[in-house]
Amino acid sequence: MRANPEVLILEDDAETLDELQNHFTRKRFHPLGARSASRALSLLENNQYSSRPVLAIIDWDLGKAPDRNASSGDVLSRLARELRECPVIVYSQNIDAFNVRSQIQRSHPRALLHDKRDGDASLLERIDRMLDRTVGDLRIHDGTVVVHLPTLDQHHHREAIRLVVHHPDIVTFHSDTATKAVRRFGEWLHSHNSAVRLVSHGNRKYRLTVAASEVFAPDAEA
Amino acid sequence: MSAVPADPTPVTTTLTVAGRGHGPFRSLVSPGWEGFCVGIVDAPWMLGVRAPDRGRAILVVTIDGELAVAVRDAAPGGMAVVRDARPDDADAIAAACLPWPWMVVGSAVALTPALASVLRDRPVLTYWLGDPPVGLPSHARYFDRPAALLDAVRSACAGSVGGMRLAPGSGVELEDGTLLRGATLESLVAAYPRGFALPARNFRAVSDALARHNAGWSPQRGSAAEMTLVRSAARSQR
Repeated sequence: MRANPEVLILEDDAETLDELQNHFTRKRFHPLGARSASRALSLLENNQYSSRPVLAIIDWDLGKAPDRNASSGDVLSRLARELRECPVIVYSQNIDAFNVRSQIQRSHPRALLHDKRDGDASLLERIDRMLDRTVGDLRIHDGTVVVHLPTLDQHHHREAIRLVVHHPDIVTFHSDTATKAVRRFGEWLHSHNSAVRLVSHGNRKYRLTVAASEVFAPDAEA
Repeated sequence: MSAVPADPTPVTTTLTVAGRGHGPFRSLVSPGWEGFCVGIVDAPWMLGVRAPDRGRAILVVTIDGELAVAVRDAAPGGMAVVRDARPDDADAIAAACLPWPWMVVGSAVALTPALASVLRDRPVLTYWLGDPPVGLPSHARYFDRPAALLDAVRSACAGSVGGMRLAPGSGVELEDGTLLRGATLESLVAAYPRGFALPARNFRAVSDALARHNAGWSPQRGSAAEMTLVRSAARSQR
């Protein structure tokens, strides 16, 4: 069975939320849309056993949210703590203000920032650049498969997609199941003589690169 | 019995949060329900910046976070995570950088005892803007202007010694593509040609690992009495 990867979208404006959801649906992702932070937290809780979003799009300013029980910072903190492997884009009208950026960084140190004043089209373009990625001889197709371009063979697993989306960054995987899937993806790359290699950083951390073997050099008294 | 009314129960953050019906006693990993308000709201101890992580970390301790924003802009993407700390949570955030922060940047704040201990005992790149506080190690670098400090951050992230260079996120890539993991080696590569005023025993594991991989470099006491990477004798033939 193949499940489409989820994308979490927190956007207080109903029209913009619809537009974003439609965009992801067209790209074969399953959007988890929320107009308030508490609803987004609830979606994360409800989905944590079945799936984990491969991307989160967070509106920092939630002035039109139907409830104010939680803030976008709460959602970012939850993502940073429990879904570290999920790339996050935060957008705001005030993204240039250092105090806004500082608050976002303290909630989620790895969050990517986007200026809302550039318009929705600019955000969608950026998202597409992340999701329709080509890394070496691999390409994500329709958000659901990784294609090895020389052979056109496909690998279907959300964790493989996560690694390609994250390239060249390290991804920390949350479970043994996910780690096994990543190792299978590494074997698949090897069996296809792909230019891309899987590198283990230990502690369930992996990244894609052309690098070779990995060795551990322990720190003194670490 | 005293006729004086008892003091009211102190209003603490914890009680305020608990009073909203979703306090800190609710497990973060328990199932939620549709419409149920989950999570701890406005709880500073739940900030993502306090989440433990083994990735390469730049801890920036300031009063307002402005320097942390600038450091994040200066550091090349993917090389290190910038952790924006205030004096009151710097210890907790430093403890979340595993095994220790790769770099500590600060300005206009005093050094907390725990942070001073980390800087004194571990090879941590230490960059300070403005007047330095008491307790910084002798290998710390001081800057008068933010631009000079940010240049130093960029240089450290691009650190390269004899074919060894920092890998994105963590570890050091050797000339032959081997990835060596270890915070001490990362610090030595980034600090080169400078080093750390620390005992030689802190660097034995790195010395062994580099010798094992015939890297041609080893940590030694340099001219400034700091442990730094020095080219070792000719490489052996494998």
